[in-house]
Amino acid sequence: MKKIFLSSFIIFSAIANAQLDRSIMPTAAPPKANDLKESEVFTTANGITVILSENHKIPKVSFDLSMGSDPRIEGNKAGLSGMAGSLIMSGTTNRSKDQLDKEIDYIGANLSADENSIFLSCLTKHLDKGLTLMSDVLMNANFPQSEFDRIKKQNESELMSAKSDASTMARNAVVKVNFPNHPYSDVMTEATLNNISREDVVDYFKRNFTPKGSYLVVVGDINRQQTEELVNKYFNSWNGGEVYVNPTNNGLYGKGNRVVFVKKPGAVQSVVYVTFPVKMKQGDKNQLPLTVLNNIFGGGGFGTRLMQNLREDKAYTYGCYSSLNIEDNGAWLSAGGNFRNAVTDSAIAQILGEFEKITNENVKDDELNLTKSTMNGKFAISLENPQTIARFALNVIKNKLPKDYYRTYLSRLSEVSKENVLEMAQQYFTSKNCNIVVVGNEEIIENLKKFDSDGKIELLDAFGNEVKDLKKADISKELVIENYLFAVTQTKNKKELTLKIKNIVNYERVTDMTSAKIPIPLKMTDYWIAPATEAQKMEGQGMVFQKSYYDGKTGFTFNMQAGKKEMTADEMNSKKNSSGLFPEMNYATNGTNYDLIGIENQNGVDYYVVKTMEDSSETYDYYNKTTYLKEKTISIRKQGGETMETTNILGDYKDVSGILFPHSMSLTIGEMSLSGKVSKMIVNGKIDLKDFK
Amino acid sequence: MRNLVLSGLALLALGSSYSQKKIEFVEYDLPNGIHVILHEEHSTPIVAVSVLYHVGSKNENPNRTGFAHFFEHLLFEGSENIGRGKYSELVEKNGGVLNANTSQDRTYYYEILPSNQLELGLWLESERMLHAKVDIKGIETQRSVVKEEKRQRVDNQPYASFLTEMFKRAFPNHPYNWVPIGSMEHLDAAQEEDYVNFYKTYYVPSNATLSIAGDLDVAQTKKWIDKYFASMPMGQAITLYRDFVAQSDADFEKRYGIAKSKFDKNDFFKIKKSFLSFSSTKRLIKKMSSKPIEIKRTEKDRSPINGVIKAEIFDNIQLPAIFMGYKLPEQRSDDAYALEMLNEVLSGGSSSRINKTIVEKKEMATFAFSFNFALEDAGVEIFAAIASNGVSLDSIQKEFDAQIELIKNELISEDEFQKARNKFENDLVSANSTIAGIAENLADNRVYYGNADRVNTLMNNYMKVTREDIQRVAKKYLTQDARVILHYLPKK
Repeated sequence: MKKIFLSSFIIFSAIANAQLDRSIMPTAAPPKANDLKESEVFTTANGITVILSENHKIPKVSFDLSMGSDPRIEGNKAGLSGMAGSLIMSGTTNRSKDQLDKEIDYIGANLSADENSIFLSCLTKHLDKGLTLMSDVLMNANFPQSEFDRIKKQNESELMSAKSDASTMARNAVVKVNFPNHPYSDVMTEATLNNISREDVVDYFKRNFTPKGSYLVVVGDINRQQTEELVNKYFNSWNGGEVYVNPTNNGLYGKGNRVVFVKKPGAVQSVVYVTFPVKMKQGDKNQLPLTVLNNIFGGGGFGTRLMQNLREDKAYTYGCYSSLNIEDNGAWLSAGGNFRNAVTDSAIAQILGEFEKITNENVKDDELNLTKSTMNGKFAISLENPQTIARFALNVIKNKLPKDYYRTYLSRLSEVSKENVLEMAQQYFTSKNCNIVVVGNEEIIENLKKFDSDGKIELLDAFGNEVKDLKKADISKELVIENYLFAVTQTKNKKELTLKIKNIVNYERVTDMTSAKIPIPLKMTDYWIAPATEAQKMEGQGMVFQKSYYDGKTGFTFNMQAGKKEMTADEMNSKKNSSGLFPEMNYATNGTNYDLIGIENQNGVDYYVVKTMEDSSETYDYYNKTTYLKEKTISIRKQGGETMETTNILGDYKDVSGILFPHSMSLTIGEMSLSGKVSKMIVNGKIDLKDFK
Repeated sequence: MRNLVLSGLALLALGSSYSQKKIEFVEYDLPNGIHVILHEEHSTPIVAVSVLYHVGSKNENPNRTGFAHFFEHLLFEGSENIGRGKYSELVEKNGGVLNANTSQDRTYYYEILPSNQLELGLWLESERMLHAKVDIKGIETQRSVVKEEKRQRVDNQPYASFLTEMFKRAFPNHPYNWVPIGSMEHLDAAQEEDYVNFYKTYYVPSNATLSIAGDLDVAQTKKWIDKYFASMPMGQAITLYRDFVAQSDADFEKRYGIAKSKFDKNDFFKIKKSFLSFSSTKRLIKKMSSKPIEIKRTEKDRSPINGVIKAEIFDNIQLPAIFMGYKLPEQRSDDAYALEMLNEVLSGGSSSRINKTIVEKKEMATFAFSFNFALEDAGVEIFAAIASNGVSLDSIQKEFDAQIELIKNELISEDEFQKARNKFENDLVSANSTIAGIAENLADNRVYYGNADRVNTLMNNYMKVTREDIQRVAKKYLTQDARVILHYLPKK
């Protein structure tokens, strides 16, 4: 009994000592200094910058080789770089794809590539083998046609899948609205995929994968001497051309809020991004305060304004975030999430409201402190990963930042004030010039009109391209054509028309043309002689670049590279239908296959759209619904595997001898654009075609 | 005896030719049943604090599915001493990150903090374990959030319902019948009391594993653990305490026959195994302390799938897809390692059989793969493929079947065998590259295998598997007359 009493006494005293008031939050011990280990940097004779971050915690090493060239606009071959990226691992001159895959998997390694880099990660003991494979791919990738065909087919299927994936559709729309005429808005479609050939891919790889300007980031269980030896052994003989520098625009800054909608039938939720471009480069002095702003707004954890308002308070969503993307060639901000159909408009209103609020008022001290502490902590946590340290070193070199940029990160962070944050919001954020991208169920469109500054919602397809929203035509196709002919000839009935046309026997027209891509002014002269003779030449600085001639029986084309070519029977046939003072004159009699596909509104103007079809091409003519003048022609011609799209915008119609002829044109052929003004137009003059004999 | 030691050493030396580094840790039980695991490592001044509750969707009432996952949300709402919405704020304000996840078998919470904030992490987790706020306000907010999560992750994602559809058919008689996201109707139908009971049953010390890894001092950490966790009431005394905190005077008295006012809150944390009781309140606390909280564990499910179960599912998709499921034994089964290696041969990496044939050579699918879904009570091997444009699902199924027959009829090559081993070695090394990963692996191995040290010996299990084993498990489990076949087709 005594013994028992004693032991319980001990328990009581022990517990009395441990008396605990749980409502008191523990205070922290002083923080430990977090050493930022230096990375080692050296360059090789062939131009590679090598960055080494040693870390021996686990017996693994990674080699990450990335290229230094800027991206190019891919235009009608959009998706080429992605295609090339997915084909790099398709085999080498030494190893078929099967062999390569087998050898990589055999050592349990990860060897992968994308359009701009090749990455290896493996156990230290397999490093030699891993690098053998990596350098083989880098120097001897051979892009077999069979793999090209397979990946192309796979892309076709993936493009189909993309049409049911709301997040992909939203991302496509975001780049299209923020970055028109910029490499970021190159989104692959079925049409652009068709334009890409194996030769394009080979060419892309050769151009982009060059040691000059490239970075090799080595991380893990390896030291400086081993790194130098291995780099020398495996990358010494790699060579290539110059690095490509291509400054791009900073994105399109909107005027007024603009709603773009992508239809996803059957959607139960909408994917929403309120987005705009941001003028910002890595290492900009405003990057850190802007990041603080974004983290308070929606880029941080659960405590951000967007999350608290839209998830915790309103329960509209599982998550509402904003992201500030600062990439090598452009920066943008996106805020949004997934919202059920019924609250999509309310959610957009709340997001815009949060933008408005944060650009007008200082943030609260506790928000600012919370965000700064969070960033402070995340910075510390991120240092656990040796890749972080290497990434820091890479950023410093690539963006020419001060050497101590990351060493001073925490002290610079501590200095960010709420005044700085408001200044950032006013400089970079907007609630009035946003692109509002919504992917969702058609039934909610009506509710979104209120957000668009002109009340007109643009429809994009799954790949971010404009959807032609056509209304049904109110008159017949014959009447459209007839009215057009009456308009250009300024006549009122068929009899007048026939008479007037009969009196026109020829014309000569000179158009002065300019293009941003061609340094010299061009002159185009074209002739027409009744009934069916046409001739055209393009010259500049006294040289003739292009000529063509057709008289109904013979014809040829000439250009400086290819020389003179007689027209084929097919080409002659096609020419037959499209020739004449106005080809439309003959639609009724020559069997032209044409259709009135509807009324399309463009920039507030209604057009009748007439489609004409031939074996290998289709053309869309846009006739102004009020004046009936033809203001735009889009022709799409397939040649071999390629599709060539030409757009011609016509305007400035002027009366010449009683007929209205357009005097301005703006021509886009693939990636090339030209604009022209007619400087001379003579009807029924004297014509000399000796240049074409 | 000497010889034996020697050969043990030789084995050890052999073992070290694998690249894995040994993970050192200490582990012990607290009197109230919490299992503690500590791994000390100072390379970065951060620490991961985690608590694994051995409760998942399989512990749910079939009419109240989605509860385990719902609790993962609810338990961020706050506690007696942490205001609503402040839980995450406290972590973030102090430079940490936090999250949680729920599976069929367990619910896992963790914080990664600067190491000087370790005590904060312990306090936060003890608050969650002792007296989290489970009330109607939090329930209503999180109910809407979880519904949005389901819309985003399942309803609005192409093919994403395949696990739901697969498990529904593969487990007609086991709670794996439903998946963790559960039923929104059930969550709507549930009353506050259902939620409170779930908390009282599963969120108790004896069902928890506290796993901590990183820049910590073991002695100091143990002291803090004693302070915040060892002091928690034992057995059903924690239920008594929670009722004392949350119930009205009347309800409490009705239930226990003693007025709340007679209790001193501190009493709940004082009484341990003392034999002396001076008052009725202390007697009651003592009595409740000695009664363990019983958790009804689920049974292993080794029943085969009842024949070939086919179904067509219409989804918002463009390309049809096929999902085939075969029943596997529980993850602790001796066959588990051979099954994982079998899956590696079929689907691991670009050189795997499925990728080489179905995707690359025959171009029948844009994606095709298999995976091994191993759980505590049973598992499923799932074969999946999204058809290339114009390819029929039946022809893909035939090709899958041909691959399965091939592996049953012919031993895999030595190369493929070695490849699978090398792959596992690489994966095991990578799995322990972060302290958060180490904390989680230690906890998982302790709970599922009763052995945290399995993190260090796992490679041996794979090394024991022979090519014949792989062939044998293929024959045993990939049976063509007992499987689920789902066809995903575009909605008209």
